[in-house]
Amino acid sequence: MELVVNGGSYSLETPVGRSLAETLRDVLGLTGTKIGCNEGHCGACTVLVDGVPTLSCITLVHTVEGRDVTTIEGLRDHPLVDSFVRSDALQCGFCTPGQIVSAAALVEANPEPSREQIRHQMAGNLCRCGAYPKIEEAIVACARQTKLAAVAEEAPDA
Amino acid sequence: MQLQHPESAEAAAAALGNGSVALAGGTELVPLIRDGLVRADTLVAIRDVVPRGIDGTRIGAGTTLAELEVDPKIPQALREACSLAASPQLRSMGTVGGNLLQATRCWYWRLNFPCYLHGGDRCHARQGEHREHAIFGNERCASAHPSDIAATLLALGATVRTTRRELTVAHLYRLPTDDNRDVTTIEPDELILELDVPRPEASTYLKAMDRRRFSFAVVGVAAARFGDGVRLALAGVAPIPWALGSPDELEEATPLPGTAYKVEIARTLVRRAVESVS
Amino acid sequence: MNGPYGDLWTRSVARLIKTEKEVEGRYEDVWLVVEEDALDQWPAGPGEIVGQPTPRITGPQRARGEARYTADVQLPGMLHTAVLRSPHAYARAKSIDFTRALAAPGVRAAIGPDDLDVLVDEAGYPGVAVAAVAADTFDAARDAVALIDVDWEVLEPVLDPDEAVGRKQLLIEPRKYERGDVERGFAEADAVVEAEFRTQTVLHNSMETHQTVCEWQGDRLDVYISTQFIWGVRDEVAEQLGLPPDKVRVVCEFMGGGFGSKNGAGDHTFIAAELARRTGRPVRCALTRREENQASGNRNATIQRLKAGARSDGTLVALSGKFVNAVGWSGWTATTEGPMQMLYACDNVQTVTYGAKINTPPMRAFRAPGFVEGTFGLECLLDELAAKLDLDPLEVRRLNYSHADDDRPYSSKRLMECYKRAEPHWERRHEVRARSEGAWKRGVGLASQVWYGGGGPPSYAWVRLGADGRATVITAMQDIGTGTATAMTQIAAEELGLPLDSVDFVLGDSARGPYASISAGSSTTPSMGPAVRAAAADAGRQILEIAAQRYDKEQRVLSLKNGHVVSSDGGSWAVAEVVGLLEDAQILGKGARGPNPAGMQVLTFGVQVVEVSVDTETGEVRVDRVAAIHDVGRVINPLGASSQVEGGIIQGIGHTLSEERLLDPQTGTILTQSLDAYRLPTIADVPPEIVTDLLDIPDEHLTNLGSKGLGEPPIVPIAAAIANAIRDATGADVRSLPISREEMLRALREARQRAGEKVAAPAS
Repeated sequence: MELVVNGGSYSLETPVGRSLAETLRDVLGLTGTKIGCNEGHCGACTVLVDGVPTLSCITLVHTVEGRDVTTIEGLRDHPLVDSFVRSDALQCGFCTPGQIVSAAALVEANPEPSREQIRHQMAGNLCRCGAYPKIEEAIVACARQTKLAAVAEEAPDA
Repeated sequence: MQLQHPESAEAAAAALGNGSVALAGGTELVPLIRDGLVRADTLVAIRDVVPRGIDGTRIGAGTTLAELEVDPKIPQALREACSLAASPQLRSMGTVGGNLLQATRCWYWRLNFPCYLHGGDRCHARQGEHREHAIFGNERCASAHPSDIAATLLALGATVRTTRRELTVAHLYRLPTDDNRDVTTIEPDELILELDVPRPEASTYLKAMDRRRFSFAVVGVAAARFGDGVRLALAGVAPIPWALGSPDELEEATPLPGTAYKVEIARTLVRRAVESVS
Repeated sequence: MNGPYGDLWTRSVARLIKTEKEVEGRYEDVWLVVEEDALDQWPAGPGEIVGQPTPRITGPQRARGEARYTADVQLPGMLHTAVLRSPHAYARAKSIDFTRALAAPGVRAAIGPDDLDVLVDEAGYPGVAVAAVAADTFDAARDAVALIDVDWEVLEPVLDPDEAVGRKQLLIEPRKYERGDVERGFAEADAVVEAEFRTQTVLHNSMETHQTVCEWQGDRLDVYISTQFIWGVRDEVAEQLGLPPDKVRVVCEFMGGGFGSKNGAGDHTFIAAELARRTGRPVRCALTRREENQASGNRNATIQRLKAGARSDGTLVALSGKFVNAVGWSGWTATTEGPMQMLYACDNVQTVTYGAKINTPPMRAFRAPGFVEGTFGLECLLDELAAKLDLDPLEVRRLNYSHADDDRPYSSKRLMECYKRAEPHWERRHEVRARSEGAWKRGVGLASQVWYGGGGPPSYAWVRLGADGRATVITAMQDIGTGTATAMTQIAAEELGLPLDSVDFVLGDSARGPYASISAGSSTTPSMGPAVRAAAADAGRQILEIAAQRYDKEQRVLSLKNGHVVSSDGGSWAVAEVVGLLEDAQILGKGARGPNPAGMQVLTFGVQVVEVSVDTETGEVRVDRVAAIHDVGRVINPLGASSQVEGGIIQGIGHTLSEERLLDPQTGTILTQSLDAYRLPTIADVPPEIVTDLLDIPDEHLTNLGSKGLGEPPIVPIAAAIANAIRDATGADVRSLPISREEMLRALREARQRAGEKVAAPAS
């Protein structure tokens, strides 16, 4: 089967029933995507499939053939990464890739999310360390930054 | 295990049965297969052959909960039920058709105890830990049906069209009996294609949960006003979504010792839901 | 010993001394080689780098998914393990037959109770490891485990802790404590309250499950493990396997949370080691999330029967408590009675604590074990007493403040200052109550905390500096997500006068650094921090020695500042220039953690003020605001510190409102095995406002830093503060955790009945 991950194409032989998460981690060596529960309850394994936040641990890899898979490795230069670090929106960091992937989809769809919207759209990403308040700050800060950058771009030269 | 990609819904339905099961979003099916609760030698991918999207009052069974959550054309109760269901990722992956067919979260069933619903003769929850279980229809099986969407569609009086027939949501469900433990009337080779959801004057869905999001209903109440009448249906209170003829029917509840508190919550939410749509 | 020495150039001297080490309230005498370095503490307040908010230095790696956790370790030829666990709470395996399992595809080895001590044929709790299979894939191993034929003799489990106490099925002799005369105290009391409190079993559920990869290299064993104690694992594994400790290398560069559950090696490590030995291949043994919810430890349930007596002005005259810890089949009996003994000045106190041995998975330390549970009971009881006497709860705390403990003075105690800072938050209660509307009632509650946090020796660090003027701090410690790597780097940079990004930090490998202490008991910063500072100071002195020679100055006029050697009589040279002569030579600084202040108690104190809203018709509880005021000594990194406080509060909200491990009462089977059933807080459950106020005043007696640990203090009082706020809002007495809908509705009903009785029975 053909898998497209972070813009790159991979040819794989893999049995039906294998999850996308396992394929990413064990076959492609993309271990940025973490497995927290392997049954769709914690969100650590979140990736984007055609831009849609998807739990890779319960997604059968054969069902994403021909679709665009984006993992945290494909988002390494996303402004959210820097925002998370500056805001201290992580502690042990195990849930963090999944958080950033979900957040990336959120700000793509909604460039200026309210705090209520953030809490609603990030509720599927569990964090046992409790970095939530700062995750919310990081997303708010990133949105603000992106807006400021856009405004700066548009500003006419003096 | 094999994965088939049929060309049409009819072909998909024909391929089902005898260890061949339909795969849409997979959010329910994949864990059930892994836990040995569903046997599947062949997965029949139906994502691309089942109707998807909203057309007037018709909703394709392949529409995801996330798509419904943001659509202003559908009744408010349905939007609210979708937005309070599961997690954002699960809503993006899971279809409305699949959601209607989801199994109970009863831990005894999920851990494969030889319980009534699995074909055995006793309900382990009755003598055991049953705080999340039923207050209605619980003579044989005390499990609770978790679907917010099913209760809401029941209150809205929605109909379901399958590859075989048209039926009301109410007729999609049945209480398990000694001769047949299924909680749905769907045949193994029958596919849900679309729903027809009437437009009420007003509707709402209220959900009591153990945490603010991402939690199955302790009690979920859907209310929809058509003309002068308010239709009510509850999630989380019976093995199937439970319609109430009137708020007074709550007094006929048959709670277990550990589910009595649900009756109190249901009374309040029913009252508030009725007030909200009146 | 600690204290202001004028002369910074005291040489370090190796001495053998007997000193005290405390971990989570247990003191023990230890003999140590302590290379003590008498450095003055820095003045209070933020320095150049220490005391400044600093993002995690490993942040970018973790955020990008580039950090390698044990779960990500993939070694060539690695095998995967599945474990057969007892499905029964109490049973004996009469026979175990591996024939079918060994014939299954991909299977490379299988072991049982005859092969490894940690595998048992008498199962004392559900989920205990009985046998294990190593195979090419995890699926193959798991399928093979299903083919192990076990003939179980199922026995009758004891699940109820009170029943166990009644039968004297205990893990320890009942632990008794007494001071003064409680009988006389209660007799003199103007008001007495008595109540039973219950707390539930809570599971750690770190995001990375317990796991280990073992690989033998000849007669040496490499152990990659998600752990809180690299050196403890090393010693434990070496001892069990009969190896010299240096033959065991333990690696943990990144780990996904522990909270106390990963203090020891765990069965999975010994299983992996044995299977690796038999197969000659690296072997991973990782718990699934369901196994994590069954047999990887827990905060045990408690039953607390408490009694408090006070005079009409609120002075406590007697406290007594009977504590039953539902410890499990094994484990230790946490000091649930600690807060009752330690938090207040009360002459007459009596406690007895039982460690019930029941057929449930054994407890493991969980973020302030015993004190979270005990503070809930005590602080709720105190508020009930205050209500009975119609006194302000904050006043009652102040009135019963314990100024000194004759046996052991406090190294520092600033709880009164915490109470003072609580006042503006406490004042809000009038306006909060006034915002009650319809079924929603609002109120404010508070609770105090005491906990440990001094850490102790031994812990060591090295600092290496080369010709490029960059320093590397070399340790073999672990960072369990608390930001300790960053804090240590800040300390070294501050001491060396280097910018933060000129300092690198190494951790995580016992073969590449000296002994480091456990990351538990809020001890990492107070244990490792002083060692890192001492190592940096040693390196710093050597830099100045070189500079003195190079620029013909007396060492005493030189100091390090902003990456420069600075002379007090003018003159400034870049450190890189100073050490540029070194070429391949290096400066090596060495540092060790000195002893704790002799004969003193090193404790942390604090108070939390919480605002809640309660829907009195549905029993829903929302936490609207938390003000957390804690005295933890000097704060190294205010940014990381506030994250710790928020994290502890949120974890505490989980165990207060939504988390509970449930068992089937008939069979003892764990029912909450998945994260849909065991409900951790989501981002939507976070209070809209959390205010963190850390006093940041150095403990002048404690080490060259004056820093205490802060991992645990924030979780200790939150449950009681929430319960007390609920009482303020509704008059309801919550008596058990979690405060589920059922419990909240019960308490509200009881409050209404009491109010009804008051109305019905006129005062006589």
